[in-house]
Amino acid sequence: MDWGLILDLTLKAFLGLDAVYYIVAALGMNVQFGYAGLLNFGQAAFMAAGAYGLGMAVNYFEYSWWLGLVVGGVYAAVLALIVGVPTLRLRADYLAIVTIAMAEMIRLIVRSVTHKDKFGGTDGLKGFADGFQDLNPFAQGKVYGIGPFQASNTAVTVLLLVIYGLISLGIGYAIARKRKAAKLVPTTLIAGAITYGITLLITSRVKYLGSELWVLIVGWVLVGIFSVFVYMLMRSPWGRVIKGIREDEDAVRSLGKNVFGYKMSALIIGAVLGMFSGVLFALKNSNVQPDNYSRAVTFYIMTALVLGGLATVTGSIVGPMLFWALLAFTDVFLSELSDAQGRVEIFGIELLKDSSARGQFRLGMVGIGLILLMVFRPQGIFGNRKEMALDGR
Amino acid sequence: MTFRIRHLAALVLALIATFGMFLASPASADAPANRAPRAATCDGPGIRAQVNDQANGEKKPIEGVKITVNDASGAEVVTGNTDATGRVLLCVPEKATYTVTLDESTLKDGQALDGEATVTIDGAKFTTNTRTINFFTGAAVRETDGYWTLLVKAIVNGFRLGIVIAICSVGLSLIFGTTGLTNFAHGELVTFGGIVAHLLSVSWGINFILAAVITVFLGGMFGVGLDAGLWSPLRKRGVGLVSQMVVSVGLGIFLINLYLMRFGGSTKRFQAYNQQTAMKWGPIEITARDLTTTIISLAVLIGVALLLQKSRLGKATRAVSDNVDLASSTGIDSAKIIRIVWFLGAALAALGGIVRGLDEGVRADMGGSLLFLMFAGITLGGLGSAYGALVGGFVIGMFVEVSTIGIPWFPDLPFLGWIKNGVPTELKNVPALAALILILMIRPQGILGRKERVG
Repeated sequence: MDWGLILDLTLKAFLGLDAVYYIVAALGMNVQFGYAGLLNFGQAAFMAAGAYGLGMAVNYFEYSWWLGLVVGGVYAAVLALIVGVPTLRLRADYLAIVTIAMAEMIRLIVRSVTHKDKFGGTDGLKGFADGFQDLNPFAQGKVYGIGPFQASNTAVTVLLLVIYGLISLGIGYAIARKRKAAKLVPTTLIAGAITYGITLLITSRVKYLGSELWVLIVGWVLVGIFSVFVYMLMRSPWGRVIKGIREDEDAVRSLGKNVFGYKMSALIIGAVLGMFSGVLFALKNSNVQPDNYSRAVTFYIMTALVLGGLATVTGSIVGPMLFWALLAFTDVFLSELSDAQGRVEIFGIELLKDSSARGQFRLGMVGIGLILLMVFRPQGIFGNRKEMALDGR
Repeated sequence: MTFRIRHLAALVLALIATFGMFLASPASADAPANRAPRAATCDGPGIRAQVNDQANGEKKPIEGVKITVNDASGAEVVTGNTDATGRVLLCVPEKATYTVTLDESTLKDGQALDGEATVTIDGAKFTTNTRTINFFTGAAVRETDGYWTLLVKAIVNGFRLGIVIAICSVGLSLIFGTTGLTNFAHGELVTFGGIVAHLLSVSWGINFILAAVITVFLGGMFGVGLDAGLWSPLRKRGVGLVSQMVVSVGLGIFLINLYLMRFGGSTKRFQAYNQQTAMKWGPIEITARDLTTTIISLAVLIGVALLLQKSRLGKATRAVSDNVDLASSTGIDSAKIIRIVWFLGAALAALGGIVRGLDEGVRADMGGSLLFLMFAGITLGGLGSAYGALVGGFVIGMFVEVSTIGIPWFPDLPFLGWIKNGVPTELKNVPALAALILILMIRPQGILGRKERVG
């Protein structure tokens, strides 16, 4: 068993693109579900709206690729309106049913032969990411380490050290605030120093391809922007009303607030975040394929979100990172464990006949994990149990 | 933490019972019985030409036709004659652009080629190892059905689909009515029926009818096991309904991956009653198998409706579904009713899975894809109402099939081509899903539901 390989691949997934696009989508679902109590089971459709918006802008309307973001945004917002108008006045489970039905409808239409000229059928769309990759400062086929001391010249080393330092300091500050430390500055410095050490250790082991690294950097920058945006939004008067709606809709209505309008804007904000997630995923693969936006994706993002903790920004960032790290770990661990015939055994008990079934095995475990989380720790890692008093009214 | 050991044990037992059955059978149990034998193979890429005569409406292979393959420059690469199955396999050195030519002089008298004698294979699209090229002689005789024949066929199909959806969604609706749970794992209960019946009848070789009966019983027990092991403890802990809904999503993810692991991702057919010729009464065509399953399903549906309407048990069920507290205060044991509802609902779902599996084959995601139609059905009928599920499911099934036909007299309006020409078959579920959204806009409580439930 090669523990070094297991560690490397786990860490790579921890910081990787899958985690990034899940984070952006999870932030959107968090605005909807965690803060506003709106159960959107169709996030995959909003992601598809973003991805197809980009792909169609370039391939079908022949705009430049960044106009595709606008097209995707319009698609996502229109979808949210179509879904929201009939359901937001009804009970929570109606929204869940309608969003999941809508997502399935979108998937069926984009993969159909009938509309192949626009959406490309089951093959999807390709070639729209060229404009984006042209801006890539890295050599596409080359492998880059992201640790400061793996860099080729001193300037990059110093730059990376500073960037990681600032991020660590920020995390340290967040930890100090969270713990309500009496001495803010020393606690921030200590927590920041520990985080810095861990960051340097992790980054020294991880390598990405140049084409991937470019999307990854853009993705993490977007994660930073959106996290701050959601954090500020939820501390604003608007956010307090939204949380009030989650707790007691009638009370908020009796204060003269337009509950429907607030819910609708929460739904649209979540949808637009979902759209950015879809765009990142499309840029990562340089293609859009309809079956990548099935309902399972929504469910996995939901699991990652619940793992991190609903109604917290930290939760929607760390949840998906841990989710993908765990998936990668299970995958590599099981494949390392399998013998020459592909049989996987733990302590003499046969787990899998054929290690190629480990993909399904780990996703089955995701299902079990979601059940256990919802039952025993609905607030996830970072959430507050008081904020999770969800019920169907 | 009041999650009692007893409940956990029940859940574990239920899971082991199902899991154990899957473990006992190898995943690749189905024999490739009806695959056509492939005579020769190439080491590298190959081109298979098939020549068939289609003049009399059915395909007949033609032997001894000369096929020549030339490369892009026009040089001859390989040539060969078709065998008794009308096929010839021609090995080529690489996946490149070729032209395949049929020598028309080798055709027998009276056989005229339908289409071009020379076909060009684009090298960029030569992706599979063996490319198959079809040649046909004789004009194609396609039976073009008239509008009414098509409509009758669609109605027959819609009738059958409607009954399956109705059977599957009774449980979904009753469980919602009695416990408030919107069960996103209900589709997996349908799949359970299909897969277990396939396992018992094909892999274990049990008589199909016996296997179906056992499966329906096991399906019911699976439902009771889930309720005893998972849902009942959750209700006792006071876990919110939205959280329960998310738990059902987790259960669905687990079950579908378990099915995929043990059953594989392909479609598998039951071997019993497989190749039957259709009986005809005027425009109606139906095989004896489909007629039987339809009659049985219809009888079951009527039985369920009578059970709910007439028996004490059914009245109690409807009472609990209306208002749990009120029902309990009149002395109804609502916990017992919920157990019965779970048994009945899951058993009916399993039956639906068997009927659907006979029709379309068994797949690990067969129930998941029906779930949307079930939701559309019970929303139309009214969430929580058992009759609503019967009526709504039936209407939705009919709607899905009939919407593919269209109304030819409808004026040619922009964006409304689907009404005139019918919905493309691959998109036939889309109007039903759109109807779901539309119903919620106009009458959210559905046909038979009550207004106070919705919001």
